[in-house]
Amino acid sequence: MVIMVSQRAVDAVFESLFLLTDIRAMLRETAPHHALSGSQREHVRDLLSRLEGEIAIIREDLG
Amino acid sequence: MKCTDEFDVRDVDECCINIDPIQVGGRLTADAMKAVIAYGDGYSVCDQCRKPFRLDYIKSPPIDRFHRDLAAFVNMDVARVVPGARRGFQAVTDTYVGKGDPVLITALSHYTEVLAIEGRGGAIREIPKSAGNIITADAAAETIEAVIREFGRPPVLLFLDHYDYQYGNCHPVAEIIGAARQYDIPVLYNGAYTVGIMEVDGKSLGADFVVGSGHKSMAAPAPSGILAATAERAAEVFRTTGIKTDVTGRTFGIKEVGMMGCTLMGVTLMGMMASFPHVRERVKRWDKELSNGNLVVEALKAIDGTVIRSEYPRKHTLTRVDTINSFDRVAKTHKKRGYFFSSALKERGIAGIIPGATKVWKFNTYGMTRIQAEYVAATFREIAEENGLPVSI
Repeated sequence: MVIMVSQRAVDAVFESLFLLTDIRAMLRETAPHHALSGSQREHVRDLLSRLEGEIAIIREDLG
Repeated sequence: MKCTDEFDVRDVDECCINIDPIQVGGRLTADAMKAVIAYGDGYSVCDQCRKPFRLDYIKSPPIDRFHRDLAAFVNMDVARVVPGARRGFQAVTDTYVGKGDPVLITALSHYTEVLAIEGRGGAIREIPKSAGNIITADAAAETIEAVIREFGRPPVLLFLDHYDYQYGNCHPVAEIIGAARQYDIPVLYNGAYTVGIMEVDGKSLGADFVVGSGHKSMAAPAPSGILAATAERAAEVFRTTGIKTDVTGRTFGIKEVGMMGCTLMGVTLMGMMASFPHVRERVKRWDKELSNGNLVVEALKAIDGTVIRSEYPRKHTLTRVDTINSFDRVAKTHKKRGYFFSSALKERGIAGIIPGATKVWKFNTYGMTRIQAEYVAATFREIAEENGLPVSI
C-alpha cells in the first residue's frame, strides 16, 4: 500500500526540527546548569506544545 | 550519545560554556542551524541557478542581495563569499604577488597569510611588533623603507590584522594604512577577528580589501568567509575568465578566475546568510561583549601571580593570559599535574581550554550572557582558592 504524505506533513517535519532547534539554542544560552528563568520556561513550554501540534499533523497524514 | 555509528554528537556548547579562542564567534545562530537542516545537501543553493550561472546572481534564495548586503556591511564596493578568510588571502596574492615580489605582513600575522604569499613565491618581510605587542605606523613606515632599500621598490601588498590572533590586541590600522598609502601599496585588512563581531568600515580605514571569516566571527559553518574590495580592486581580483580551450573551443561565461568559479554552493553560504541579520545586529553590542570579557579578565587578574599578556585594558574578548606563577605552580604538585586546570573547569561546565595548559593560554568570552560571564569569573576564582592560590577581592 502506498502512503501519500502531504506537503502539510513535510512542512510539519521541518517545523518540528526547527522547534527543537529553538530548544537547542536555549540549552546553549543557559549552559552549563540550564537554570531557566520563568519566561524561558514558558518559552520552552510553548515550543513543546507547538511541537506536539506538528507531530499530530504527521501522525494524521499517516492515517 | 552517538551521532552515527562512527562518531558522537557534538554537544560542547549545549553542555558547557565554551571559551575556546577560535570557536566562539563562529557558533551558529538558531536560524543558521535551521538553514543547515534545510540546505545540508551538496549543491543545495543551485535549484534556481539560471543564466549567467554564477553564485552571486542567484535570486532564490536571495544570494544576489546577500552579496550586496555583505559589501555594504563592511562599507566596500563589491563582496564575494569565499571558503574561509585564507581563500580570500589567496585570491589577493594570486592577483598581485609574483615570484620574488616583496610582501609585507606583521610580526603577529596569521600563518595562512604567510602560506598565501609562499604559494606565489613572494618575499615576506615582517613589520616588527613593539614591546607591548602592537604594530605601529612608524614601524610599518620603517619596514617599507627597508624593503625599498633592499628590493629597489615598495612591497606589492600589505597584510594587516586589525586584532591579532595571538593577543587579541588592537593595532592602529587606519594609521598604518595611511603610511602604506604614501607608497601606493595595496592593503588587505584581515578582519577575521572583527568582521561579524564589531563594526568594520573598510573605506574609512582606507583598505583596498576587507577579508572576514564566516566560521570565526560570523556565526557560520566552516569553511566560509568574505572578500570585499573597492571597485577599482574588484575589477582585478574578481576578473572574469577570457579563455577558450584549444580542442573543444569552450568558453566559461563570466566565471571569476580568482574565485575558481562559484565558491560556497550549499550549507556554508546558507548558514552564513541565515545568521547575517543577527550578525548585523550583534556588532552593535560590542560594548556589552567587552564588558563581559573584562569581568572575566578582572577575575583572573585577582588571582595572585596571574598576568594578562594581552594589552590592558582589553579591547577584545580574546585574551592571552600567563598563569605560570599561579595555576602552573599548582600543577607542579597536583596529582593530575597540568590537567588539573582544564579538568576542574570541565567539571564545572567550562570547556575550550587546551587540556594540560597551565602556563600561557588564550580564552574568548564572546557570545556569553552576563550570567555566564559571572559564572566563568567566579569559577576561575573558585579553582584558585581551592588550590591555595591567594585571590584578592
